[in-house]
Amino acid sequence: MTIDRVSGIALLILSLFIAWEDRKLPLGTHSVPGPGYLPLILASFLALLAIILIIRGRSSLPLRSLSWVEGRHATAIFVCCLLATFFLESLGYRITIFLILVFLFGVMERLKWWLTLSLSFGLSFGSFWLFDNLLKVILPRGGLGF
Amino acid sequence: MEIRKIMAVVATICFFALTPGIGKAQEAYPTRPIQVIVPFPPGGVADLVARPLAASLEKILKQPVVVVNKSGAGGAVGMQAAAVSKPDGYTLMVALSSISVMPVVDELFGRPKTYKMEDFAPIALLTADPTIFVVRNEAPWKTVADFVADAKKRPNEIKYSSSGVYGTMHVAMEMFAHAAGIKLRHIPTAGGGPALTALLGGHVDTSSLGPNVAISHIKAGTLRVLACWGAKRLAAFPDIPTLMELGYKDVEFYIWSGFFAPAATPSGVIRILRGAVKEAVKSPEFKSAMEKMDTPISYLDADEFKVFWEKDAQRLARAVRNIGKVQ
Amino acid sequence: MAETLQNLYLGFATALTPMNFFYAFMGCLIGTLVGVLPGVGPLAGISLLLPTTFGLNPTSALILLAGIYYGAMYGGSTTSILMRIPGEAASVMTCIDGYALAQKGRAGPALAISAIGSYIAGTLSVIGLMFMAPTLAKFALGFGPPEYFSLLILGLLVLGYMTGGSMIKNLAMIVLGLLLGMIGIDHFTGYFRFSYGIVALGDGIGVVPVAVGLFGIAEILATAGQPVRPEVLKPRLKDLIPSRQEFKDSIAPIGRGTVLGFLIGIIPGSAHIISTFISYAVERRVSKHPERFGKGAIEGVAGPESANNAASCGALVPMLALGVPTGPIPAVLLAALMVHGINPGPLLIKDSPIIFWGLIASMYVGNLILLLLNLPLVGLFVNFLRIPYKILYPTILMLCIVGVYAVNTSLVDVGIMAIMGLLGYILRKFDFETAPIVLGVVLAQTIEMSLRQALAMSAGSYVIFVQRPISIIFLSGALVMVILAIIPLIRKGMDWRDRLAKG
Repeated sequence: MTIDRVSGIALLILSLFIAWEDRKLPLGTHSVPGPGYLPLILASFLALLAIILIIRGRSSLPLRSLSWVEGRHATAIFVCCLLATFFLESLGYRITIFLILVFLFGVMERLKWWLTLSLSFGLSFGSFWLFDNLLKVILPRGGLGF
Repeated sequence: MEIRKIMAVVATICFFALTPGIGKAQEAYPTRPIQVIVPFPPGGVADLVARPLAASLEKILKQPVVVVNKSGAGGAVGMQAAAVSKPDGYTLMVALSSISVMPVVDELFGRPKTYKMEDFAPIALLTADPTIFVVRNEAPWKTVADFVADAKKRPNEIKYSSSGVYGTMHVAMEMFAHAAGIKLRHIPTAGGGPALTALLGGHVDTSSLGPNVAISHIKAGTLRVLACWGAKRLAAFPDIPTLMELGYKDVEFYIWSGFFAPAATPSGVIRILRGAVKEAVKSPEFKSAMEKMDTPISYLDADEFKVFWEKDAQRLARAVRNIGKVQ
Repeated sequence: MAETLQNLYLGFATALTPMNFFYAFMGCLIGTLVGVLPGVGPLAGISLLLPTTFGLNPTSALILLAGIYYGAMYGGSTTSILMRIPGEAASVMTCIDGYALAQKGRAGPALAISAIGSYIAGTLSVIGLMFMAPTLAKFALGFGPPEYFSLLILGLLVLGYMTGGSMIKNLAMIVLGLLLGMIGIDHFTGYFRFSYGIVALGDGIGVVPVAVGLFGIAEILATAGQPVRPEVLKPRLKDLIPSRQEFKDSIAPIGRGTVLGFLIGIIPGSAHIISTFISYAVERRVSKHPERFGKGAIEGVAGPESANNAASCGALVPMLALGVPTGPIPAVLLAALMVHGINPGPLLIKDSPIIFWGLIASMYVGNLILLLLNLPLVGLFVNFLRIPYKILYPTILMLCIVGVYAVNTSLVDVGIMAIMGLLGYILRKFDFETAPIVLGVVLAQTIEMSLRQALAMSAGSYVIFVQRPISIIFLSGALVMVILAIIPLIRKGMDWRDRLAKG
């Protein structure tokens, strides 16, 4: 199982999914294309490319050779992004960012506690000041007013 | 061990964050900065009315009044955000006439409405520009009658540009076409700017524009006005007839801007806001800002605005249903 | 000519008053800052400062806002080169070779060439604007939907040469980008496509969350956990200055980038990012060593950076000459003028010469200010790289989150950025190029809308594409590219048949 084969299969599934979702939209005709027209053409083209990838995939690197050594950090960072998405407005910018930074500096990178707290506090409140006061961007203030 | 401590702290903070406003007694309004949502990108009509208004309101209410642009989906994103926001008077909205159009379009497509008009309490009407019927200077039509006669001879041949399907320019033109019994070909573009560009470049033959956008080109002679969609003639163009004068009944279309609050806002707060807006539109700064943009102020207080809004909404709903689903 | 010089003198007299010089400086400073911050681009900066300009006179207001606009183009390359995060969407192409150069220890020269190229491009474009604005603007108006469609098809084909790697994979990424760009409301019929009831997706996936996610977040995801990071040595002054070879290699790309960027910028509705993509692809095509691209070719920085500065100037041409907005940023600039009672239109240059010539002169001054601001800062910025990565990456993450949020006050954008980040990380592992996705997202709506508008104009007939002269030119160009691509294949095929015939 090579990487090209895996990505080819993934793209093929994606293109079939798009074509399936596209069925709800009117296709129109060649002279008056409807909203579903171009997505269907593109999805078919993508399916074709995916099939070519799968067929020619034999000569690419094997799946096993991929290294995921940074995976733990990557997962942590991704989870932080998701947390930001869900909590930025309810908890408020400063608290959310402060928590994320404390997590990344303290737990993932294991910096000394005083360094973690001061960096997290400085960055979260500092960036808030930069954007809120200087650039006049409204950053969410959350339930506590932070 | 450390992780458990952190979790405890996080849990405590979450608890406080998610329980609604601790210790907020009934205070005099306003005591905090007020947010005015503009559901359109900066630089547009709503934005250019909202900002001077916010500046004047700030002086009257003695609290910062900040404009926040939340654009997307023709205004639906910002309008929905305003509809579901906390009705405490600290989140308000300046919206355009498209507020009446979107629920009807949602109905047409059989999808759940992003918001309902009943979600909003009208505070005041601010401006109401009728759109104008514009053609290029080289065009052969000198009057609306010429145009209609030509359109009847070659149905679906004359092209007009709009800012997008079911947008203000589209609905206005279709309202007229329906009343005149003609069929025009609609070329939607991605916004007011591209629509104007398409007309100037000769790719379409006509368009229904807002007066302040077109006025510089009319003065320069590249564009010509044939009629306007108002109930009365425009001060800037006293020789241009209104479509109603020319016999097209009930063809009125205004790009109006209004000030709204979420429907459940307490009546005391709304009273204060109404008074503040009444003063703000009389203030010299607001008046001069509007004058500089050639936008006449058409102020109506909440009750008259409600009547105006409902009548306008019915007209727009009829026009949108006449257009139906575009194929 | 004499009249122009006289007007220019008038313009300089206006631009060099202490007040206007101050505003130009502030604009450039804020623009650089806004450009450096990921996500937040010139549009955000200009719209935020719009209210503060209400109290100024129109010339000063325009000088300030325009300064932010072209200033952001200078700043955007900084984070692209240092951290592979686009400071604003148009700087995506600089991320590719700029970052590779930084990793080879040539961050200083990359930053310097990018500043110098931007200066040359900016200044030359202002000259173009000065002399040819009305003519060019008329030409730009002639671009209708059929011309757009043909141009974009040509652009997509040119992109086949854009990056190395497998052609099939690049095509797949472009198609993926195009499909992502089709999410949202269809402006032609009002149907919501692929948005699953999330209203915020109604306007589609913005290019900013996609660019910051695919490049910035993906970069952090891929590098944060790496056990060993190469040490960045303290740079000596020698290392900050581009070598003579680098200078020589950059001159032609800067020239080409300027012309390309300016012409593409004039076209209403084209995004700056298109000019950078085309410049990169052209540089790769004409280079004698195309395999160097992607691994740190200075041409890959000089060309796109010049192109995007020239494009921002080109975008002002139709705005000033005809009062026609070419994109969201010129639209806000027009609004700023309207608020002051100036009606931008064909008569702007004649009726308000002070504004036009004051702006032109201020742009000369502003570009110079930016060059002088950015060059000394190169040393400072390069030292930024020496901060230990474990402190750096959470900071970058925070800046990405706040930058993307600030663009439209939308959490959905942050979510899109996160998902794109994950996607970019996985795609890199599987050996795909991510830049074509960004281009696909940018082009998707325009290509589809142009096609349907053109067909609506011609009542369904495809003939319209070959009836109009500009459209024919682009389509022939596209045909030539396709033929050029096929010829080597045919030759290989003929060799094969020869060999078979002989043996």
